[in-house]
Amino acid sequence: MNIVQMKIRSCLYSTLVKALGKGRWDLMSAVCLERKPVISREMNETEKNFSKMLARIELENSHKSDHEMRLEKDMLQAEMLKSKSCDLDIDLALQQTAQDFEDASVDEYNKFLFGSRVTEADKTDDLQSLVRKLDRHLLLVVQQKQWDQKVWIMPQGLRMDGETMLQTAERVLKEQCGMDLTVKFFGNAPCGVYKYKYPKRFRETTEETSVGAKVFFFKAQYIAGHLEHNRLKCKEFKWLGREELMSSVPQKYYKNISQFLIDE
Amino acid sequence: MIRAGLITALSRLCISDVRSHITSTRLISTSINPLLFKATTCLYAEPLKKKKRIDPAVIKHREERKKKRLEKQIRRLEKNARQLKPIDELEVPLEFMDRKKEREREVPTLTPEMEDERAVLLKKWATYKQKQHLKDTQMIDRLIFAQQKALDELHQESEELYEAAIQINPTQIPFIVRGPVQTPPIKGYDSPDGEFTDVSKKW
Repeated sequence: MNIVQMKIRSCLYSTLVKALGKGRWDLMSAVCLERKPVISREMNETEKNFSKMLARIELENSHKSDHEMRLEKDMLQAEMLKSKSCDLDIDLALQQTAQDFEDASVDEYNKFLFGSRVTEADKTDDLQSLVRKLDRHLLLVVQQKQWDQKVWIMPQGLRMDGETMLQTAERVLKEQCGMDLTVKFFGNAPCGVYKYKYPKRFRETTEETSVGAKVFFFKAQYIAGHLEHNRLKCKEFKWLGREELMSSVPQKYYKNISQFLIDE
Repeated sequence: MIRAGLITALSRLCISDVRSHITSTRLISTSINPLLFKATTCLYAEPLKKKKRIDPAVIKHREERKKKRLEKQIRRLEKNARQLKPIDELEVPLEFMDRKKEREREVPTLTPEMEDERAVLLKKWATYKQKQHLKDTQMIDRLIFAQQKALDELHQESEELYEAAIQINPTQIPFIVRGPVQTPPIKGYDSPDGEFTDVSKKW
């Protein structure tokens, strides 16, 4: 699928960047890779109360079902049997009553083990696990070195000649996270931009060098696979929920990316 | 010429159909006169049947009948096409109609307090939903704004990259998403087929 996409894209558009010289900006692509919620969110107080009321009204407006009719019939029959216990009809007594059926069904339901909404990773707080916070978005951040310090940011990389920005993003993800990851990119357009100037002391004084970088973010959805720990360029990665994100990425960076992240 | 000579040489020969029993006695000839061949040209085919001439009026009549028959069939098909398949589920079974009284539920009459409670809940719900909607709309605005800003920045850098970014990616359409579920899927769970009887009618 991905190969086909790339082929189509490469034959659709060619790319060339104007050499601007002075005040040039480096172009970068970053991947905003998210694991979408797997399970639905717990209902809040208002929602719970309202749905309870709707169910109540539904019941009031309804008629009795076949099962309820059978239940009533069984009750009547039981009373009849009691009143004239002399002529016990064995056939009737042996039949499965509606109550029996109900009990059996409830039993079967209770025996079934549903998948737990709280997982092992939730309990151990394993930030590298994908089966955490199943009802929330998880965003991939990796540790990258920027000049003299290490920061947690989304995987990003410089654009190479002849690539569109999306192709850069796809390449960056493959380089940094391995081939095993299957993702789905959403559209050709970037969802946001983060523009920053390189600090003066790290900038060379010649006119050729660029003043800063423009990072274009591309949204993608996690489908399957896992990150290859060992082969990674940057070995550190985390899958973070929204509130964890705020505390672990640089403040200015968070302010930028929160512009295009979906609220929870 | 050779053939003519042959015929004269064999002129007294009697040729007869061997298969026919009636002529068997005729193999002996008493006549002095030569028995002559009676040869006809052989036909390797049956003579053509004479074509029956039909009255053009009759042909016209036949064609008309054919046409009429076809028209009638088309009309019948069209008439049937307008008849829709009945949906059984939409029709209340007669049994239920007849025994509606028995199936009625005894509903406890609502006290004024309960009615009030319900009204309050309904209003709460309305405000809650309105706030939610407002939040969603604002969020969508914010997302669109962020994207537009990114595209503008890209446009400043390179026209080609911008053009590439605003293309529709045909491989991503149609877009299908499976929504969140109540409980997470159990790994390796083999779901049973269950039992069912197909009672749907064929039309």
